[in-house]
Amino acid sequence: MRDLLRHPTGLAGAVLLALIAVMTIFGPLIAPYDPQQFHPLSRLQGPSVAYWLGTDQFGRDILSRILNGARSTILFGLGATMAGVAAGGAIGLIAGAIGGAVDSLIMRLLDGLLAVPDLLFTLLIVTVLGGGSGHAMLAVAIAFMPGLARIARSTVLSVRTREFVLAAQARGESPVYVIACEIMPNTIAPIIVEATIRVSFAIMLGATLGFLGLGAQPPSTEWGLMIAEARQYMFRNPICVAAPGVAIALAALGFNLLGDALRDLTDPRGRR
Amino acid sequence: MTQLPITRRSALAGLAATTALPDLSFAQGAPKSVGTPKSGGTLKISHPTRVASLNVLQISGPAEYLAVDMLYSGLTRMGPDMRAQPDLALEWSADADAKSFVFKLRPNVSFHDGKPFTAEDVVATIKTIQDPKSASPARTVLSMIGDVAAVDPLTVKFTLTSSYADLPISLAHANARIVSAETLKGPLTALDTKANGTGPFKQESFDSARLLKLVKNPAYHQPGKPYLDAVEMHLFPDLAAETQNYLSGAVDAMLEVQQADFKRISTAPGSVGVRTPSGRFVNVVMRQDQKPFDDVRVRRAMAMAVDRPTLVDIILEGYGRPAGDNVISPGYRYLLETTAPKYDPAAAKKLLAEAGYPNGLKIPLICSNRPAIRSQVGIAIKEMAKPAGFDIDVQTMPHDTYLANVWMKGQFYIGYWGMQSTEDQAFTLLFTTDAAFADTAWNSKEFDALVAKGRATIDDAERRKIYAEAQALMVRDVPSVIPFFQDVLTANRSYVKNWVGHPLARYFFVENVWLDKA
Repeated sequence: MRDLLRHPTGLAGAVLLALIAVMTIFGPLIAPYDPQQFHPLSRLQGPSVAYWLGTDQFGRDILSRILNGARSTILFGLGATMAGVAAGGAIGLIAGAIGGAVDSLIMRLLDGLLAVPDLLFTLLIVTVLGGGSGHAMLAVAIAFMPGLARIARSTVLSVRTREFVLAAQARGESPVYVIACEIMPNTIAPIIVEATIRVSFAIMLGATLGFLGLGAQPPSTEWGLMIAEARQYMFRNPICVAAPGVAIALAALGFNLLGDALRDLTDPRGRR
Repeated sequence: MTQLPITRRSALAGLAATTALPDLSFAQGAPKSVGTPKSGGTLKISHPTRVASLNVLQISGPAEYLAVDMLYSGLTRMGPDMRAQPDLALEWSADADAKSFVFKLRPNVSFHDGKPFTAEDVVATIKTIQDPKSASPARTVLSMIGDVAAVDPLTVKFTLTSSYADLPISLAHANARIVSAETLKGPLTALDTKANGTGPFKQESFDSARLLKLVKNPAYHQPGKPYLDAVEMHLFPDLAAETQNYLSGAVDAMLEVQQADFKRISTAPGSVGVRTPSGRFVNVVMRQDQKPFDDVRVRRAMAMAVDRPTLVDIILEGYGRPAGDNVISPGYRYLLETTAPKYDPAAAKKLLAEAGYPNGLKIPLICSNRPAIRSQVGIAIKEMAKPAGFDIDVQTMPHDTYLANVWMKGQFYIGYWGMQSTEDQAFTLLFTTDAAFADTAWNSKEFDALVAKGRATIDDAERRKIYAEAQALMVRDVPSVIPFFQDVLTANRSYVKNWVGHPLARYFFVENVWLDKA
């Protein structure tokens, strides 16, 4: 952690994520208004003392909606990534540990899936499953799975011929023990780095699906949905669109910077 | 056969038809032409919803209505003044009790494939609509037709099962345009992609995901029209992109303008916003064969928990009028002026307590995500009804899911409907027991009887009285909350002349449109 905070990129990412974490945990408590409360006489107002970021088309306080929306937006990013890591990591671990024909079969299938861009893949899945936050999260997790499986497998391949693995096998440990207790703990670091960066992509994909009407649905305060709902009014109050847009950008930037720093710190070639 | 008295509507329409033949455009309720029309040019119209089909007997989308209005003609057509105007019929007459109608057809009219239009085509079209297999929305509207027969090639006789003075209006239904008898002998699915009508424009190309291109029908039955050489309908699923394309001059007219953009579009240089009062409405469906809405006090409490003027302001941006749960808007002939329930959360809360909900009522309200106005109304009503004790959980879902799981089945959801041509059509669309979409399950025998009686009554004053009673019942029982009537908003570049709005948004008179370009 100390190394991370000494790293300029890591420090910037940590600061941004600390801000986002505060919003996620305490947002609903510190929001000045109920995020759904109408103020019909104050519609589409610019920033003021009463409404720091102005109001939307219903007269709802934009700041309160941003603070409340942090939870759904960040939880979406974390949830989709963790699900993708769990599924992709397990597949990569099995493919790498077993090897042979099973490995080849799994990896060719995943190569095929990797050829489809993430956004297209998620759109395809959401179209089949139907919209909504749950399906959108599942779609992003599935889209992430092939890439994460490939990283997990390559890490397993580099670990499985190491001395401590061979020693465990020589001791007569079961394959399950070898995978779970010897190989897996040594593959986690690169996956964490990759996952941290992918959270930012997941946030942006979630916001994109929300914007397209395929993710969170009204009256959710999810940031992508906020942009979609306010888009028609952006000429009358640009902050309606700009505020959730900046929030998405900062959250994505925070995870990206942190991921970059973690990669630098865990990559032996990058150490000076 | 006895002619109806001159005061009766059908006779008036017939008279108008026969006296105004020299200049039919005025007889058809078209706008007064500005300047001398110029021929030529291509009109590019943008629209946000797909033209999924060209099947005139089945279509129901906003852009599809425009397409078939240009491709097909009906016996009659509804003018912007909400009166039935002659189209393929030159004139009509009815017997004294309005049970038998004779329509004289326009001679020398041909379909786009060159085949002549005759009474047999009318008979074939009506009989196809009456066949349940056609799945035509016009079927219910024309259900009173017992028999239709060709008297001669240019005369058609309709025999009705009960008196119905509004038959010429019902025949103007957007899905009752005339298709050739020969086409109808083949599979109806052929109509989905290939149109062969008698309208002012002919189909040139059709890509439902992008563009419908039509070209002038030189054999159109109105001499000298259409003025345009071609019309292109461009699909813009993204509303912001559609607006920007219009403002940049890439298209000449917008079929629909969103309320949020209307002021900006109307005041943009070279742009004209067209606002037409309409009876289009959103309704809060409260299914009455289930608790809690089987109790009229709960429905009345809901009605009092909705601030209608505020809804008009925040949802419609002022482009509409508050309504009082009566489906009949000021554009209809027999409107009963009633006062909308006042927003009174305290009284609503008291009523809710009397109905057995002293601690309020927690209930999910389902909204389709298309069009956005449904969820906007849901969100607004949630907040407005909160002080009255309604704890509403707004659940927005994809339109397909809504159609499959909620529509016609759900207990509490948001509907969205266009204006109808007559009171009878409005009542039988949603509210009678045998309505095409009876989703409120009101099932009021008293209301059904009044609607049936009104349909069979010829005397105008008597009919007004009957329909007034029906509307009073609707206001009393609140089968659904109808909070406002929404205006129809369109726009055109200033060089586009005679582009008109229509309260029904189903008739467009594009044959009168011309381009005043140098």
